[in-house]
Amino acid sequence: MANREIAPGIFLLGVRGKFAASPGQFYMLRAWELDPPLFRPMSVFALEEEAISFLYEVRGRGTGILSRLSPGEELLLLGPLGRGWDPPARPLALVAGGTGIAPIHFAAQIYGGDAFLGFRGKPYLVESFADWCRAVHVASETGEGGTKGLVTEIFRPEGYRTCFACGPEGMLRELYRLCSEAGVPLFVSVEERMACGLGACLGCAILTSRGPRRVCADGPVFPAEELWGDG
Amino acid sequence: MADLSVRIGEVALKNPVIAASGTFGFGAEYAPIFDPGLLGGICSKGITREPREGNPPPRLWETPCGLLNSIGLENPGIEAFVREVLPRMLELGTVVIVNIWGREPEEYAYMAERLDMTEAHVIELNLSCPNVPGAGLPGANPEKVAAIVAAARAACGKPLWAKLPPEGDLIGAARAAAEAGASAVTVANTFRGMAIDIRSHRPVFANVIGGLSGPAIKPLVLRAVYEVAKEVGIPVIGCGGIVGWEDAVEFIMAGAHAVQIGTGSFIDPLCIPKVIAGLGAFLEREGIGSLEEVRGCAH
Repeated sequence: MANREIAPGIFLLGVRGKFAASPGQFYMLRAWELDPPLFRPMSVFALEEEAISFLYEVRGRGTGILSRLSPGEELLLLGPLGRGWDPPARPLALVAGGTGIAPIHFAAQIYGGDAFLGFRGKPYLVESFADWCRAVHVASETGEGGTKGLVTEIFRPEGYRTCFACGPEGMLRELYRLCSEAGVPLFVSVEERMACGLGACLGCAILTSRGPRRVCADGPVFPAEELWGDG
Repeated sequence: MADLSVRIGEVALKNPVIAASGTFGFGAEYAPIFDPGLLGGICSKGITREPREGNPPPRLWETPCGLLNSIGLENPGIEAFVREVLPRMLELGTVVIVNIWGREPEEYAYMAERLDMTEAHVIELNLSCPNVPGAGLPGANPEKVAAIVAAARAACGKPLWAKLPPEGDLIGAARAAAEAGASAVTVANTFRGMAIDIRSHRPVFANVIGGLSGPAIKPLVLRAVYEVAKEVGIPVIGCGGIVGWEDAVEFIMAGAHAVQIGTGSFIDPLCIPKVIAGLGAFLEREGIGSLEEVRGCAH
């Protein structure tokens, strides 16, 4: 197990061993006893023959503890969990903002496609997308390492038959507006606080056009129109 | 292997460890982790007469050693539950306790009557959900508890457990439940709590108040179980903050016939099987023949 700070407050946690996952699925992580009570759900960033990795931002006590883990310390992983992205109709566009690049990177690893990545400041891990993607476009709000602006300003959905995305809700909603205008199906990975991770407690449920859906078991990937469509 | 079986009124459980309502789905969700047939019993998610969508997110908020929830009784309604969910729960190989919630005694009676026509083993009357907008908190009030238990008692022949809130006149409510025909009381549901988002200046939950569970409340609930077990003549099922087998032993020594585990399963998905194994090992190590020998021994 190894933890690497790849940007201020943003860590890439790699674990050695045989793991399984399909793009968009997540694991529940834990490296403490009673407190904080809950595991931390994390999308898979990359899966290899003998390793798995997770990308996360330190936001509270749980991610703080994870970021201070050293090789040899105990880490519990529960997974793979949830429903991810099914194989897409191509060409495929992959759009991500900030740490939302985590599941999008794993999708790129399996499905390829063109990547559009947005960052607040200096971009990170862009080079690892180049291994899997036909093209990698980068935007940053400061203009460092890419076009100055938002990822939704450099992405045009025309010509794509599917779009996968993960990032802040504002970005995803704007993307949904762009994709629905162009008639491109959009599938987004969303985040919610979780307790069981197994679909039992309904703590992560969100309201959709199909009624309440569990992010952990029915998602985390949903067709965007179920979340924000007119019904 | 030590004998962990217990009787709660008319019902025999293979062990005293029950999955608490709302934390274990309908059983199948945990099947990839362990066989739900190991459980002493499983409580269903709280069921209402009509389907409910529940509260908007966020529904969860962590506190030190605790968890606030504001789920809001999301469930498919009694009719869909009886037709589509209950048959599968009855195949799990454990005692099935159907948890029901209503606004009025008539709603409880309606659902109890519907369940009387099924193979469900027990009905747990949820007299204590803190998370329904505008519904108030019926459980703290002995007269309301008496009216609801009596209505359900008249409507069905199944064993009734009354799940009470930890606040208000708990002893009075437990006595009222016993006199109105409940075979046991579950002590307790979550404590009403809240959290405020200091950035938005607003409560984190749309419904303002949530229910606090987890190890943070264990000493409070243990005290409540101890007092109810002393004052009221029907079995008490302890529920609140149990994570390890030692917690379960404490509740039994305080007088509980059985325990329910909820948040413990979120802390460790193998919590329930570990507690069952730990209880068995404890009895053997201490040379105790059955749980009855230590039940209430702290009094």
